[in-house]
Amino acid sequence: MNPALSRTDKIHAAILAAGGGGLVCAYWIAFFHSDLTLPRFVHDMTDPALVRLTTVYLGFESAFPLADLLIAVTASLAAFYLVGRDAKAVLFGLIASGALGFLGFIDISFNLLHGLYAPALLLKDGGLLMEAMINVTCVSGAVWSIWRLWGHPLRRAEDRPSRLMGLQDSDPPAG
Amino acid sequence: MLSLAFACFLAALAIGTCVEVFARILNLWTYRSPLYPLINVVLIFGLVQGFGVGWVIGGREALRGVFPVLFMVGAVLGLLTEGLNEYWLHAWSWSDRPILGIRRSIDKSAFIGVAWGFAPLLTVFLARLIAARPTAGAYG
Repeated sequence: MNPALSRTDKIHAAILAAGGGGLVCAYWIAFFHSDLTLPRFVHDMTDPALVRLTTVYLGFESAFPLADLLIAVTASLAAFYLVGRDAKAVLFGLIASGALGFLGFIDISFNLLHGLYAPALLLKDGGLLMEAMINVTCVSGAVWSIWRLWGHPLRRAEDRPSRLMGLQDSDPPAG
Repeated sequence: MLSLAFACFLAALAIGTCVEVFARILNLWTYRSPLYPLINVVLIFGLVQGFGVGWVIGGREALRGVFPVLFMVGAVLGLLTEGLNEYWLHAWSWSDRPILGIRRSIDKSAFIGVAWGFAPLLTVFLARLIAARPTAGAYG
């Protein structure tokens, strides 16, 4: 019998489903059908340097949907299995969290290299500010999710050497 | 000419009907009520995945750019549908027949949930073929 779904598990499943699945989908729908997710500088066609940055930025962003597909699907699978109290929640949760952290760091790296985190830019550009918040949420959410799943009761005991060693120490000596 | 929105709805209905017929022939799942397959085809396939996801997301953009989003939204909604059925609604249940070697009910739900991602993708592809073809009336 698998352990009961704790309150934190319910919150974790909701975050995986709504954040990893729902919000990632919502972001890309908004990206393709509105200007909501775009930084303000992409509309500035007067400065050649900004036009060049816009081309690079949009090219970089448009490479993300296929990679985000992996996050959305594995995060939803993790939520699905977590609600069902199945050990596969740990597998898919770790895949989703690892992918989320990886993509978060790639985005952070791009933004740092192109000076898009400059406080002056962030303060006057809502799109960039939202992106910075998404970056921070991605990395911190990934770290929290990995930390939680690594110590989760659904993770098999044989996958946890520290737990196995603890069990062996407490076993009465044979014979 | 058919509007793309209506073509998406029709294409999704056609795909849904094929899936249900195929599942019935292979005895993959059974519905608790004879009304549920109809609801599944019209509501989930036609309105949600076809019109909602297919047309709203894939109706205006080039398929090349938007195909991951179509699959992503279709799969996430599919997992939601399968999860609701698996844990709460129990409107359909899986037979003992394995699906590509998958035997457990929860794994079948997860697999089919992800496979839902193909529904809006195929819908848009099919709908663009239908909508691009002039109807008899178009020739006067």
